[in-house]
Amino acid sequence: MQGLLTNYGDDEPFENGDSLLLSGRLQSIDVVEIVMFLEQTYGVDFAQIGFDKECIDSIDAIYALTQATKKVN
Amino acid sequence: MASRAPYPGSIGDQLAKFRLIPRLETYPKVVTFAQTATGKIIILAAFTLGLRFFQPDLFSSLPLIFIFALITFMPEYRRLALAVAPLSFVMLQSFLQPLFLGLYLAVIALGILLYWCVMRWPKSLFGQRPVAFLLGGFSALIILACAVAPHSMPNSILWNLVGLMAGYVWFIGYALMDRGSKPSTDLTLELASFRPLWGSTSVPYPKGAAYLRRIEAQTPEQLAIVQLKGLKLLLWAILLAVFQVFWNQFFHDYLRIPLLNQALAMSVRGTPVAWQLRWECQILAFFESILTLSIFGHRIIACCRMAGYNALRNTYRPLSATTLIEFFNRFYYYFKELLVDFFFYPAFFRYWKNHRRVRVAFATVAAAFFGNAFYHFARDWQIIRDNGLWTAINSYQTFLFYCLVLATALSLSQMRKRGPRPGGLVRGHILPALGVWIFYCLLNIFVTNERGYSLVEHLRYLASLFFIQF
Repeated sequence: MQGLLTNYGDDEPFENGDSLLLSGRLQSIDVVEIVMFLEQTYGVDFAQIGFDKECIDSIDAIYALTQATKKVN
Repeated sequence: MASRAPYPGSIGDQLAKFRLIPRLETYPKVVTFAQTATGKIIILAAFTLGLRFFQPDLFSSLPLIFIFALITFMPEYRRLALAVAPLSFVMLQSFLQPLFLGLYLAVIALGILLYWCVMRWPKSLFGQRPVAFLLGGFSALIILACAVAPHSMPNSILWNLVGLMAGYVWFIGYALMDRGSKPSTDLTLELASFRPLWGSTSVPYPKGAAYLRRIEAQTPEQLAIVQLKGLKLLLWAILLAVFQVFWNQFFHDYLRIPLLNQALAMSVRGTPVAWQLRWECQILAFFESILTLSIFGHRIIACCRMAGYNALRNTYRPLSATTLIEFFNRFYYYFKELLVDFFFYPAFFRYWKNHRRVRVAFATVAAAFFGNAFYHFARDWQIIRDNGLWTAINSYQTFLFYCLVLATALSLSQMRKRGPRPGGLVRGHILPALGVWIFYCLLNIFVTNERGYSLVEHLRYLASLFFIQF
């Protein structure tokens, strides 16, 4: 996430619960990077579970998503 | 959209931090005062005066201000007020037009019915692909309207229905997409998001009910902050509108630089304006499109914020964009979101999963070419009604070319290796931004909405800017 923010010159710190997508700090193109990372690393299949930006909007949300995927797998 | 200064202490950083209108929402005493009854009245009065700038008279905005006052003093009724008010206004304005009123209520009812069906049967074929069914059904409605004998009652009813659906289809689409949001939104907010009170085009400002739920002010302090931001944004829209008046007077009245579509028309007629005038009107048209969209979008989002929803601005510093994709995002944010939500994500999550670049390119083309063309074709349904389907498609050749070039450019922009920006104001910001401006400035030729002129004539005009004749 920090790497994606750096692409915009955004070096401000963020907490695990901070909104990054819906707040506008990251853009839709960054969703692509995050989604592909989650698919490759954790086997998340958004075509199956449906996609909601809120489920990858923060570090906490992504963690919850990966844990849920682990349980299903 | 976030505003982050990349180089602390630099000129760019200072420019990024400069505010013509102070950030009132960050002053604790102002926020505290805005929560008092007096403060609320002052904000409402100031907003009313600001809206007056854009209305023919003060009374035109009173119904809207009444609803804002209700929301301000009784925020617990916000969703109900926003759901009922637009319906009531339309019914009051249209009670002498029973056909229109009946069809309007039918479209609203259809939206609610489809929302209920998708929530009731989420695993059905419709529940899995509700938006595809919606857009396919809308397309079928247009084809049916074209097939029915002209100048007949069924023809009139169908085209009225097409017109109403064209205005609501994307709002209904967002409601159908909300089935996946957690928790599911309630019906009042879904209704409130259908052509909301604060205004919109066919593009939902700002998106659907699930998004509204996330940005809704939950406390008196949040409401005060959001309303102060709304007031500031309205003031900014007024300043831009005043600037636009002086801009037009100076460039078009005093310097007599033609508008882009005027220059194009003269070129097509064989009496082109001077070469330097063509470039001047081309450059002006680029900046004017940003100015016009900014004023329009800021007014709507300001009203949205007054209603208690902390929506992002529709246009946010597009001239600071350093990539094509970033400009597209900053220029017309909610239209970009519509293309992404309705076309990019469905294509991205389903196809080419093993080929990263193809996957991104395919999804981008699905959005920026197909989605963009479909949206505008459906929006301009009157052209189909008046000229027939095939003539309408043919008249769209220039816009289809625009969509193709845009989609190709955005795909390439997305596929470029991303990383931290090069250092320095010139290499890091000015040169990339200039490249972006030049691209969109030239691409503007193909969005003059002059459907009477062929693609070749538009290309000929573009070539003439570079002394190329054919």
